[in-house]
Amino acid sequence: MDYVPHSQIPGHKIKQTGAVSLKGIKKQFNFKDRELKVLSEFSLDVQPGEFVSIVGPSGCGKSTLLRLIAGLDDTYDGTIALDGQRVAGTSLERGLVFQDHRLFPWMTLEDNIALALTNRQISKDAKAKLVADHIALVGLKGFEKAFPHQLSGGMAQRAAIARSLVNEPKVLLLDEPFGALDALTRVHLQGELQRIWLAQGSTMIMITHDVEEALYLGDRVVVMQANPGRITHTVDVNLPHPRDRASPVLHKLKDEILAELTNVPEPSNPIVRLIKGDDQ
Amino acid sequence: MTLKTLNLNAFKPVWLMGLIPPVLFLLWWDHEAVKGGANALAFVSLAQVGQALIDMFATGELGLSYGSSLGRALSGLLIGGGIGTLVGIAMGLSKPIEWAASPIYNSFRQVPILGWLPLIGLWFGSGDLSKLIIVALSAFYPTVLYTFEGLKQVEARLLDVARVYRLSGWQTFWRIQWPAALPSIFTGLFQALAFTWISTIGVELLFSSGAGLGAMMQQAQLQARLDIVLVCILFVGLTGFAINFLIKRLSQHVLSWRSIRA
Amino acid sequence: MKPDLKLILSVGSPLLLLIVWQAVTAFKLFPPEVLVSPTAVIAAFGEVITTGELQRHLSESLTRLAGGFTTGASLGLLFGLALALSKTVERVFGPTFQALRQVPVLAFIPMLILLLGIDEVFKIVIIAKAAFFPVALAAYDSVKGVPKSYFEVSSLYRAPWWVLISKILIPATIPNILAGVRLSLTRSWLVLVAAELIVADSGLGQMMEMGRQMFRLDIVMVGVIVAGVIGFALDRLFQLLQAHALRWKTA
Repeated sequence: MDYVPHSQIPGHKIKQTGAVSLKGIKKQFNFKDRELKVLSEFSLDVQPGEFVSIVGPSGCGKSTLLRLIAGLDDTYDGTIALDGQRVAGTSLERGLVFQDHRLFPWMTLEDNIALALTNRQISKDAKAKLVADHIALVGLKGFEKAFPHQLSGGMAQRAAIARSLVNEPKVLLLDEPFGALDALTRVHLQGELQRIWLAQGSTMIMITHDVEEALYLGDRVVVMQANPGRITHTVDVNLPHPRDRASPVLHKLKDEILAELTNVPEPSNPIVRLIKGDDQ
Repeated sequence: MTLKTLNLNAFKPVWLMGLIPPVLFLLWWDHEAVKGGANALAFVSLAQVGQALIDMFATGELGLSYGSSLGRALSGLLIGGGIGTLVGIAMGLSKPIEWAASPIYNSFRQVPILGWLPLIGLWFGSGDLSKLIIVALSAFYPTVLYTFEGLKQVEARLLDVARVYRLSGWQTFWRIQWPAALPSIFTGLFQALAFTWISTIGVELLFSSGAGLGAMMQQAQLQARLDIVLVCILFVGLTGFAINFLIKRLSQHVLSWRSIRA
Repeated sequence: MKPDLKLILSVGSPLLLLIVWQAVTAFKLFPPEVLVSPTAVIAAFGEVITTGELQRHLSESLTRLAGGFTTGASLGLLFGLALALSKTVERVFGPTFQALRQVPVLAFIPMLILLLGIDEVFKIVIIAKAAFFPVALAAYDSVKGVPKSYFEVSSLYRAPWWVLISKILIPATIPNILAGVRLSLTRSWLVLVAAELIVADSGLGQMMEMGRQMFRLDIVMVGVIVAGVIGFALDRLFQLLQAHALRWKTA
């Protein structure tokens, strides 16, 4: 297959909005009278329509970072802005996909997705159309009336993605969205997410611990380290979308990042460090 | 589980083995009754019990007593369960209310339910109102507890979803917390139903003026009419059985998605 | 340091209740037959203690409870185990057990009075019956509920039967059985108070019933409080025993 730069794919809408700017983010938890630095001086600028992957070891604060951007946690230092506007609290402009699908077991797939539109001031018909369109977008047509327990793990996660996109957010935050899926389903959904992103064009920031996934999907891969959580470096992936998994460029980058991530002196877990008491 | 086993064995001869103890017991009972002697007053023959059943049916006495006991239990469930659910919701949604109410709730709950009867009797007399209060109280305790626990156990991860989609407090309660707590609320109501039946019989035994199965038994006991007492026990037991059966069926139905968590 | 709202509310609310109660009686909003003050209840408490009335009734109640509960719970344990371990016992006695279990214990009171009179035997039997069923059911259910895999593991390692019982069956069933015993203790106390109210000749229930008949609201309230405190203390005491017996579970 020939590579086509994604900006030239007819379906891909390049958006003017959805620029995320993180400046000097500092976050700490107080843990039994000790301060636990989770994020320290974290700064990152994400362009409108860009796909940024963030990888790092567990405990490097990447999930916390996503909660801050989503507005679920307001206690931090620094500024987070979307299109120059400082974020405060949650907003329908910022969608979030969790690692577990978090669909409500007592609602049908349709109702689960419609829940996200509860407070949108649009007509009933417009809502129904948005729901139907997004069910089609994630390839779940025909399952509108299914309950979550009737769906496979992969299907449930697709539904969760549809729910987060139905508000047409400027930026979609994905917190290890495929972490709970089996390897085959994961590969399949990565391809699907790439297709959706190309069709939908919003900014995406994805947290993952799967380096291959980060490289396959991201325009840019941000590598983090723990204690405290910070960026060690950023890798630009100058390959057009959709990508070929077998690309030697991806493999070389993967080896480099893995080498860096695995070459960390133990203990890497901040809690363990704290208990051992060798925290400066 | 056990009910199912019974049903499965219903058409197999092994089931008949279960009849051995009651049949032997009844034969011995009837023998004692017919023999007469020291315990003649106590033991009544099966024929007498059967005759009592027919008489009580014919005079409408049984229907009246049974109806008023059942009515008492159900209205107690409705009142106590309704108030209990509201209190449980208030405690489950508001931490200050939880803090203020739980020490009072927990200390009142320690008193054996029928132990309240002398006090309630002094306040409201020994009529239907006092009985209803106690029966309602017996439904109130479990519904408060299970509603409260059900709401408390709604996971933070589900509430995060509500925040991401900017649901208001009422929307979060009605669309997420309430349905998530519903299985637990039903468990509480089922337990309340069983409790109201027990407490209904209890209050009727203690305040035996007025209608009701318990009152009827108590009157019969004073007149040494064991036949009537036994008929009453039979109906109390059958109703208890029906309630437990109903609860089992309803729980399976209501709690069907309980094992399938989000 | 900011004030702890939780502490204030949880201590404050019962305190407020007491103050309102005292205030209402101080302003004589209700006649004394309807509401007596907390201080009057405390005075009545002192009265029944100095006359020795409370101690006498309470010791009678507790002796009855001890006798009935021990008999009922141990018979229940044996019966439940037999029911779970032997197919024949289960077939013969299972249906009768399941049927009798459905009848509220209180409903047997008039029958037992006719058959046994209102003496001590009657009260012991009724408490024993209350204690019997929860324990029997818990023993039956928990033995039946031991996962098959446990037996498979033990046969895999060729464990002899005494190891099977001491290392697998007992540890696997004891938590549920103890929970059943605890429930039966609570039930016994409830049924005891009810039985003493119905057949009022002695015990805490009788003290309350006499108080009611003589319109001594203060004594009735003392009875209510003592019944609650004893119920709570019994449950707490058993909970401690339970925690002690199951300390391996969290360790």
